[in-house]
Amino acid sequence: MKRREFVKIIPAVALVSTGACGKLEDSAAVSAPATGSQSLSDNPKGFSVADPTSHGDPGAYDVVHCDQFGVDSEGNPISDSLTGTGSDAGLKKHDPDKPHKMTLTQEEQDILSGSKGETMAKVLKTIVMHGELFGAERLADCGGAPHSSLYTGSPWVEPVLEMFEEIADAGLKAYTPYTVNPMPLDLYTVGQDPEKRNMMLAGYPLQGRLIQVHTRLGARSLDNWSCACYLPEVGNTAEPGTVVPWAESSAVNYGNSVLGLRINRMATGMEVLCAIAGKVPIFGVLTDEGRKAKWHIEVKLSKEPHWGALGGAVGTKVVEQIPYISGIDQWIPMEDGKPDLVAMGKLKAFGSSTASSGAVGLYHMEKVTPEAQEQGRKLLADDHQTYVIDDAELARVMGTFENLWKDKDGDPTSVYIGCPHNTYDEILYWSKKIDKAIKKSGQEKVAIPVVMACPIVVRNKLLDQHPILLRDVLRAGVQFTTICTPAYQGLKGMADIDRGVTNSNKARFYSRLRLFGDDDLLQIAMTGKLPA
Amino acid sequence: MAKKTFKGRVVLPGEVTGKATVSRQAFNTSGSYMDNMFAGRTDAAPCTDSSNKELYGKDISGAILCTPTTVGSTMGGMCLMGMKSIGVGPQALLFSKPIDTLAAAGVLMADIWKDQRIVTIDMLGDEFLETIQMGDPISIHEDGTVEVG
Repeated sequence: MKRREFVKIIPAVALVSTGACGKLEDSAAVSAPATGSQSLSDNPKGFSVADPTSHGDPGAYDVVHCDQFGVDSEGNPISDSLTGTGSDAGLKKHDPDKPHKMTLTQEEQDILSGSKGETMAKVLKTIVMHGELFGAERLADCGGAPHSSLYTGSPWVEPVLEMFEEIADAGLKAYTPYTVNPMPLDLYTVGQDPEKRNMMLAGYPLQGRLIQVHTRLGARSLDNWSCACYLPEVGNTAEPGTVVPWAESSAVNYGNSVLGLRINRMATGMEVLCAIAGKVPIFGVLTDEGRKAKWHIEVKLSKEPHWGALGGAVGTKVVEQIPYISGIDQWIPMEDGKPDLVAMGKLKAFGSSTASSGAVGLYHMEKVTPEAQEQGRKLLADDHQTYVIDDAELARVMGTFENLWKDKDGDPTSVYIGCPHNTYDEILYWSKKIDKAIKKSGQEKVAIPVVMACPIVVRNKLLDQHPILLRDVLRAGVQFTTICTPAYQGLKGMADIDRGVTNSNKARFYSRLRLFGDDDLLQIAMTGKLPA
Repeated sequence: MAKKTFKGRVVLPGEVTGKATVSRQAFNTSGSYMDNMFAGRTDAAPCTDSSNKELYGKDISGAILCTPTTVGSTMGGMCLMGMKSIGVGPQALLFSKPIDTLAAAGVLMADIWKDQRIVTIDMLGDEFLETIQMGDPISIHEDGTVEVG
């Protein structure tokens, strides 16, 4: 067997333990950054968006898992008409004597009457009643594949698990195999520390039951569980215009915006009901009118921004309205009329931040996203508002980020890369960057652990394409994990023992992690100290 | 105070009588039940949303909650279902605006799958929230009529 074939079939850990070696082939110059080139060294203490729920004593929990708060930093409502769909389209008035009813096909009426069993009738009843509340005229047939955001086995999710188990007991499955968000625990990499391992097991005692019921309902293997289900290696994607039942704010945002799919932001649980029925009610961003932009974001920056920080500015301003962004396409590399794989990382960072700092389910980016390429500024609603982001405005927004570490002056203890999960290009970029720094410094290892989050199938591609590089960065202390960083960081007690830094504005928003630019993060990883 | 009557859209009907719990800002569901969701508390539901000046720290267990709509994480619907299941969820939700998709999913899933009803009326109008005060006596009727006072 040739060495190349050998390294393709053995696990990465074996590469480390057996000391497999070969010509160093991966130390080429670091290519374009994955998350933007702007240095954040102007604010070496890191920053965190003013989070109104974090001002008080955090009490018994450590983080707030909210996709948006609907209130500003003073506690005033930003909007009181949020529907959570990523669009404010919905029924605005009603006739009490004539409640809105959607038109159902004969087959759908038969299902409601029990033609496919009592449980399927309950599934469809929930979907139909839900749709009628928002003025849906009919149901759409789903395409592509579903994606579920029920991924944390906390005790309080038990009623939803019971609902899923009732469906599985009836022998029902999703219309096609589906993906699920990443696990909130990893007992092999970040779980090597017994204290952290026990936190995970204590925090998510229903995790095994959750995996079991997803498996019974037709979830794909855990190698593919990822918040970034649309990554090429995972492959949960579809043609533009396809209606899919997805929940997970960042995936919905990417799917609607970059892939041109049609997805309402669903409450966790509803996406699986729709996956079982294969049907989704048509309202919100499933309609053409619901995809009009209520905000024009005019970007007038002098250099490429930190994409997560830019997304934070947009999300905080528009909350859940749809933004149309212009003046940014010069930093988005395109290939065959679509954002390329480097651009995927930038748009993922930007979009996920709009969806966490706000509740944006869809954005249009001029000359980049498919509907913006086709329709241009015709996508702007007649009554749209305008928000200009220049260097001063972005700096102002970044200045609102806070240091939420419990020991504010302590040294960092971990570096977290990838929330949402890293693309292949991102783990390659970071691996090369770290490998180069290690070899230049003469250090054997990074000073503090670097936690690189991605699905197994993405890590395996690095093993396949750059095995020596993977071996070297594993030896240097990089931990490849499948974990959901915010869920891991949110574990009770984690903030007492971990002072983390990250490249993700989404992870920062959901936890006590502090945000830094790529070059600063590398320096922190190599020294264990904040930049001077 | 003189009794005042409002009429909204019936999402889930029922007869409920009690005292009003009022959040004039949109109620952040998951942000308000953090002690119950992540610290295992089941004896009460102190509102954990510190941005909510009217409710922060108050026990909202079994509330007749009067608010414009709900906001927050996409876990909000599942949260309502879970809180109802452990006995600290609201008795009723009274919205001045149209219901949002997250609350709608939560009350429907709890009702259809767990047979646990949260009586829900929406579109009660802005005047409803301008009128009602914390602790006001309130009666909800099957037809979506809400009597305050």
